[in-house]
Amino acid sequence: MSHFMGYHRPNGDVGIRNHVLILSGTVYANGVVERVADTIHGAVPITHANGRCQVAPDLRVTRRFLAGTAMNPNVGAVVIIDHFKEEGMTAEDLADDIAPTGKPIATVNIRGDGGFISAIDKATRYAQSFARQISLEAREPAPLSKILFGTECGTSDTTSGLASNPANGLAGELLIAQGGRMLMAECTEWMGCENWLTEKAASPAIAQAIVAGVQHMEARALASGEDIRGSQPTGDNMAGGLTTIEEKSMGAVKKIGDSPIIEYLEIAEAPTKTDPGNYVMYGPGMGAESISSMAAAGCQVLTFCTGGGHTSNHPIMPTIKVTGNRQSFELMRDTVDVDVSGVFYDEITLAEAGQIVFDEVERVCNGYLTKSEALRDNNSFAIHRVGPSV
Amino acid sequence: MKKVFVVYATDNVGTAVLEPIQTGDHVGCNGERSDLEVVAQADIAYGHKIALMDIAAGDTVLKYGLSIGSALSDIKAGDHVHTHNVESNRGRGDLAERDAVTAE
Repeated sequence: MSHFMGYHRPNGDVGIRNHVLILSGTVYANGVVERVADTIHGAVPITHANGRCQVAPDLRVTRRFLAGTAMNPNVGAVVIIDHFKEEGMTAEDLADDIAPTGKPIATVNIRGDGGFISAIDKATRYAQSFARQISLEAREPAPLSKILFGTECGTSDTTSGLASNPANGLAGELLIAQGGRMLMAECTEWMGCENWLTEKAASPAIAQAIVAGVQHMEARALASGEDIRGSQPTGDNMAGGLTTIEEKSMGAVKKIGDSPIIEYLEIAEAPTKTDPGNYVMYGPGMGAESISSMAAAGCQVLTFCTGGGHTSNHPIMPTIKVTGNRQSFELMRDTVDVDVSGVFYDEITLAEAGQIVFDEVERVCNGYLTKSEALRDNNSFAIHRVGPSV
Repeated sequence: MKKVFVVYATDNVGTAVLEPIQTGDHVGCNGERSDLEVVAQADIAYGHKIALMDIAAGDTVLKYGLSIGSALSDIKAGDHVHTHNVESNRGRGDLAERDAVTAE
């Protein structure tokens, strides 16, 4: 079995990065979070618009996103900052969720710690201490079976279903052959090819959950006045040559391979199983929310297949962009990592394209920076809402 | 010779992703099925599909090695394959709507 060099966590997880996460518990702590992260070497801020005036089911999802992100193996230590007395989700609540990972955690409360400036002071000192503490940790060998490999597609075009997505599915199979797990979300994109997925389900319950997940997402869209099934494929999809919903969806879901689907997850929920294979998660097609849900589930690395080229990058989960569109690669070569357009010109086979994607994933797991990481463009943290602000 | 791309060996359509195809063009295949050659019976725009063999009405149209729908009419090798001659088997909302119209 192949190995990679990663950061071994007290709970047995292995990270491919060693970030100090400065985590905002609420929208009103975002300013403090940004100032602290600016000051500290290797610190990554995560800010968002949530944490206040949410209905309970929605707040539970937000809490899973925030705690899950901090629990991700790529995070070496966490400083959580909140504002006052947050209802239903304090910094301490988040710290309790994260504690089983055994990683260093500190909490700062802006009011409790004496205001904006004092909170910055206190949090910066925690973060400095953590940054130095985790800098002593070194990469050690770990089996590839420790990798939970997330995958996403966005700004898709004709080339996506033909090259980048199937190449990515083959890369996933190479990881699964090493004992690893691949995770796909975006259940709006399963619409029309539920059968292809349910045939792979390891149990009838998983198959039922897949179908129910798609129906649930459709029903939510319908309740807002949008019939997403009737509108698929869209007019511009058809003008671009896509004929049916299954043609569009198959192109999207081919970003996973043929291995069994071991578990169905709710959004931002970590797998409970460790068997090699595919894992699927309920969630929207919206890229930033989707990849954030996969980071919260524990994915250390993600491939983002894109026809048009993309800038998406998650703050703590390296996001490898893969395209099959040569023109997009040329236009977006400062953020798109891998070009597999050679399959169209018979320069490489699809199997070779899969190996190229896998090799890039393996390099990134060993510490190679993605193009967006080198640019520190950490644009893609977003939390999926399941209820209104009140 | 112009080329279309074929994803999977069992596919009966190719996609014009390298260059657009004009009626009468001799068309070969990159990717899988390099053995196949057809004469285009229609213009095939970028991203659109061409039949690589005859597909009878009701037969499955295969891309990625998977069904992307059924032929609505007899499709000849070299024909443009799109919404005018293929229907979805999975678009249940559309089928429900059509069934409702039929029932009226």
